Amino acid sequence: MLIGKIVKSNSHTDYVCQVYGSGEVAQPPAREDYGFGTFVRIELDKYRWLVGIIYDTQLVNPDFGRLGPRLSPQSELAVFSPDYLNEKATLVGIAAIGAMSTAGQVFQGVPDLATSADALVEWMTEDQVRAFHQRNPALQLAYAPLLLAQGSPLALHLLRKVVGRLVAFFPEHTAMLSVLRANLEWKAQVGPLGGAL
Amino acid sequence: MNERRPVALTKGPGETPHEFTMISPDRDQALKIGEFITYTAHVNGYEQVILASVTQRRALRLYPDDFLIDPGIDPDQMAALLGYDQPEHDLFELTATVIGYYDPDLGDFVNPRLPPRTGYPIYLAADEELAGVLTKKQLGEVGSAHIGSLLLREPNRVPIVLDLRAIASTHLAIIANTGAGKSYLAAVLVEEMMKPYNRAAVLVVDPHGEYDTLAEMVEHGAFAAGTYHPEVKVFRPGEVKIRASALTPDDLCYLLPELSERMEYLLRRAYRDVRQQSWDERGNAERWTRADLQSHLQRLGKGSKEEREEGGRYASTAEALLWRLRSVLERSVIFDDAKHLDLDELFRPGRCSVLQLNDVDEREQQVMVATLLRRLLHARTQTVKERVKKGNDLYLPYPVFVLIEEAHRFAPVAGNAVSTGVLKQVQAEGRKFGVVTGLVSQRPGKLDPDVLSQCGTQFILRIVNPLDQNRVAESVETVGRELLKELPALTKGQVIIAGEAVNTPILCRVRARHTRHGAETPDAPAEWMQYFAQP
Repeated sequence: MLIGKIVKSNSHTDYVCQVYGSGEVAQPPAREDYGFGTFVRIELDKYRWLVGIIYDTQLVNPDFGRLGPRLSPQSELAVFSPDYLNEKATLVGIAAIGAMSTAGQVFQGVPDLATSADALVEWMTEDQVRAFHQRNPALQLAYAPLLLAQGSPLALHLLRKVVGRLVAFFPEHTAMLSVLRANLEWKAQVGPLGGAL
Repeated sequence: MNERRPVALTKGPGETPHEFTMISPDRDQALKIGEFITYTAHVNGYEQVILASVTQRRALRLYPDDFLIDPGIDPDQMAALLGYDQPEHDLFELTATVIGYYDPDLGDFVNPRLPPRTGYPIYLAADEELAGVLTKKQLGEVGSAHIGSLLLREPNRVPIVLDLRAIASTHLAIIANTGAGKSYLAAVLVEEMMKPYNRAAVLVVDPHGEYDTLAEMVEHGAFAAGTYHPEVKVFRPGEVKIRASALTPDDLCYLLPELSERMEYLLRRAYRDVRQQSWDERGNAERWTRADLQSHLQRLGKGSKEEREEGGRYASTAEALLWRLRSVLERSVIFDDAKHLDLDELFRPGRCSVLQLNDVDEREQQVMVATLLRRLLHARTQTVKERVKKGNDLYLPYPVFVLIEEAHRFAPVAGNAVSTGVLKQVQAEGRKFGVVTGLVSQRPGKLDPDVLSQCGTQFILRIVNPLDQNRVAESVETVGRELLKELPALTKGQVIIAGEAVNTPILCRVRARHTRHGAETPDAPAEWMQYFAQP
């Protein structure tokens, strides 16, 4: 399922995606499709994708803060200026955490290639998420240090979310993931209140 | 040697002038504490192989504590999960102390007084290299004592061969907790002294009667060479006598406990009188008997005519003293009127005498050792100074070694044991006259510190008691502090050897005895079970 398209980037691994709104695609994404911690893939070319994870959401509303008089009431804008209404948008921040290809090649970490503006962003299926983390017979989460190194205040919570999802995907690795989750829970919930890290 | 693969690279100088640090992944875990390493450096224009030993080891890379929450999860797996897939991650900073380069002419190590530069390759010292330089003697050489092998190497790869001449000039001490193997080590040392290449004159003072198995040396092939076979003579309690007249007034006062001042006065007066009488009648002050002493005491107790009329001034004192004297001198198995320590019988090259003192009162043991050492030192002094000739019972024309078990009994830190002073005198003067002592003790904390510090070669086995560890640290200067930290970690049969007999302190694995060990700990539960197994 398509979520939106890349409109800009802040760095090699930090992209901004504008979520498709009503009328832009036949089936625009629901809120649950681009929630915090959602795995997405960003088109590189026909065979390769960057793998990213939604770490932030911003709402764009050009009307906010405009203090001047309105030429027409809001209800009439839909009739006379529908384009103006469409300027409201939802942007999501995506951290690029790896790459994968149709040939099944998976890479976790800082990707070598960058995508381009207007690249399509697609929701990843459960199988795709599983394939991205599978490293037979083990599991890999090599992008975790990358996420934590970004310094975002939400990084710990993002990783907690990811680990939570992986526990559901990989029940056979629950013990190992639980060690990671226990640390993240402590650091996210108790650490800020003075718990020794 | 430089064709070998280096195990580390030097980082820089350490905290003290003779230390340096190095970095190593130590994949083979070869750089243990105490291990010997080498590097090559130019000293005074010559390339020298410099020996050093590892004293500290610090891990530089450690997994976060968070990886160690679940004992069932390997932290390596956690690291792999998070993308760390290197096969090795260990990295260590090691501190080493420079011992120096070996100078064959000097027979010792010379410290280059310059730590290695950064980036020098460090090699593990080869077994053959160590065998040639750690100790002063080679296997089978005259004056050598093969005690065991270097602990950190494979058994028997680097033999530890001590220099008996160095031991003979500075005395030795064997210190350890009970059960750490001190008697075993002492027996190994005695065995070496009795080997065909040494043939020493040895006496073992054995308060527990556990050295009689040394008698197996007589028949054992390891000790035979040509016509030589060592002799072992075990003297059971009472077989070696001290002539009562050889006792000093201090010995007598020590043997008779709780003497009042009047009693001591009377005893010393009687002692003086009996010696005078002996001199007058026999031309020798030391030819009196116990009965003579008692009769002098009785006479002193009766006193003069006036004193007798007053009931006897010292009558009651003399009675009490006589009772004490009889109960000690008459009852004891070690005192005699005529027989006296036959030095020629006790000490002879190629003979190991075991003087068993079990069943002998502790004070009598002390007097026995004091008298023995006093006479021994006197005999050797007289012989070396050529004041006595062959045929004289003080003639002893060869050096002797006296191994004293339970040495803290004979030189306790507290109390006024008569043997302490004599032992100190022997340690101070005996070296010149070839009277060498070996002290074995399980309580260095109770051993007189002066006596311990006089021992130039130390064998230190496992010691757990902090008081004993401190005493060793205070009294044994040659063992580095870092090595002393090993003391509680040593296991049975592992010993730190330091001092004159080795070129540098060594961690040694004691070799197996040729003879059986006589001090095995009894298996009490098995014996209890055996009681019920009997019909």
